[in-house]
Amino acid sequence: MAQPGMLSTAASTADKPVIVANDLGIQFKRNRRHRRSFKDLFAESSRRARPDEFWALRNVNFSVMPGESVGVVGRNGQGKSTLLKLVADVLIPDEGRVAVTGGVAPLIEITGGFVDDLSVRENVFLTAGLHGMSVQEIESRFDEIIDFADIGDFLDTPYKHLSSGMRVRIAFAVISRLEEPILLVDEVLAVGDRQFKEKCYKRIDELLASGRTMFFVSHSEADLLRFCKRGIYLDKGKVILDGPIQEVVDRYNSDYK
Amino acid sequence: MTAVVAPRRERTASQRYRHSLWLLTKRDLQVRYTTSALGYVWSILDPLLMSAIYYFIFVIVFNRGTHAEDPYIVFLMTALLPWTWFNGSMNDMAKAFIRDAKLIRSTSIPRSIWIMRITLSKGIEFLLSLPVLVIFVVITQFTSTPAHIHWQAVYSILAIALEAVLIIGLGLIIAPIVVFFRDLERAIKLVLRLLFYLTPIVYGIDRFGKHNVIKLLLDFNPLTGIVTLYRSSFFSGQLDWSAVIISAAEAIVILGIGILLFRRNMRAVLKEL
Repeated sequence: MAQPGMLSTAASTADKPVIVANDLGIQFKRNRRHRRSFKDLFAESSRRARPDEFWALRNVNFSVMPGESVGVVGRNGQGKSTLLKLVADVLIPDEGRVAVTGGVAPLIEITGGFVDDLSVRENVFLTAGLHGMSVQEIESRFDEIIDFADIGDFLDTPYKHLSSGMRVRIAFAVISRLEEPILLVDEVLAVGDRQFKEKCYKRIDELLASGRTMFFVSHSEADLLRFCKRGIYLDKGKVILDGPIQEVVDRYNSDYK
Repeated sequence: MTAVVAPRRERTASQRYRHSLWLLTKRDLQVRYTTSALGYVWSILDPLLMSAIYYFIFVIVFNRGTHAEDPYIVFLMTALLPWTWFNGSMNDMAKAFIRDAKLIRSTSIPRSIWIMRITLSKGIEFLLSLPVLVIFVVITQFTSTPAHIHWQAVYSILAIALEAVLIIGLGLIIAPIVVFFRDLERAIKLVLRLLFYLTPIVYGIDRFGKHNVIKLLLDFNPLTGIVTLYRSSFFSGQLDWSAVIISAAEAIVILGIGILLFRRNMRAVLKEL
């Protein structure tokens, strides 16, 4: 077995936060059908017409130390996934900024990078490569990834012919092998059979034990309590509570049950 | 098994950029060439068929006789192949973000890669289609009007650079806008069809007199200079430096506008995807 070594970044910057959100805010249109005018494309951002926009997140401040595992709690549509995407740098904030030190392994829409027409093997190299792994790194971990996903017989099958369970398995296997110090997890554990779920749990435990920082969005109280020490409770785009996970979960339960 | 987690070689941003760009370009070409048995043939079939059609119309039906443009098939292809690169890129630019929305939503790759990768993969297809031109040049050697390559062929490198700049610039403008106005994709197809005839492809740049309205439009078309630059490889009389300078200036201005608009629109594009 390969033992996950302590990450050098986690050790050397132990006293500095790895994620800092500073007055973070982002707004979306309520009515997605609204037509933007051509004028908007050229106007200064401050002078643009902004009909019916709302702040999905506003004045969000927090910092995460290396090795911390933070669970994000809140009802649907309160900005949890948006927050994760801002940390993952796949959305750009309208206000404030989020500074992330070190690379991010985003378990968000994990099957997104996979191409239907290419084989599993080609897809592994493509996705891992896009997340910053070199060919040598991928080669050295390739067997591990395939073992984990348990789809050895389908290596040369086009991705589109895999079952939906297999697709998620191979995607999780690839992203969870990235040697990035920060792990972002968005509800991906809800899928897959029980056996694979157990494997994923074990893998996340391993990653946390090796000093990874984790940002975790879930509706499962059991998962949150299992993996996280700290919780951030989001409601209406604001941080309601930021504290020990048990406290946060209790508060959430008392608010909405 | 020993752990391979050893000090990770940190790669610079530009190395990562090039690596990702190459991966995506390779993916495009892989998808293109592995999904259909005729892969390569498809990419050259379009310009080949177009050449055949125009050859039929202008040489066989209308029996045109400007000797300066002989052999006409080479005359056509020297402009048609670069046009195919431009045309294919523009059509793909319209879908650049929409097609890969899932990947863009989940992976933080510098966003300009989506533009560059189309330019690059279509550019490689263009280079791969050049042997077809070579074949026709060889064939004409056995006819009464053989094609002669001139030293001006070196200008093709400049033409490739200019065309790439133009494609990237237009791509940076088009790709984000189409995310908001999806029907623009059709408008682009129409404009391209029009542009085809406003570019000296089936005819030469010297076809119209100095004070002709069409000549003015031709001069304004950034593709005009680029196409004549390619064409001067075999038809040195086609070279028109003032058209080339106009093309170059326009390409650079378009690139500048593109970079500006792209930066300004990225935030909204990401939200919309």
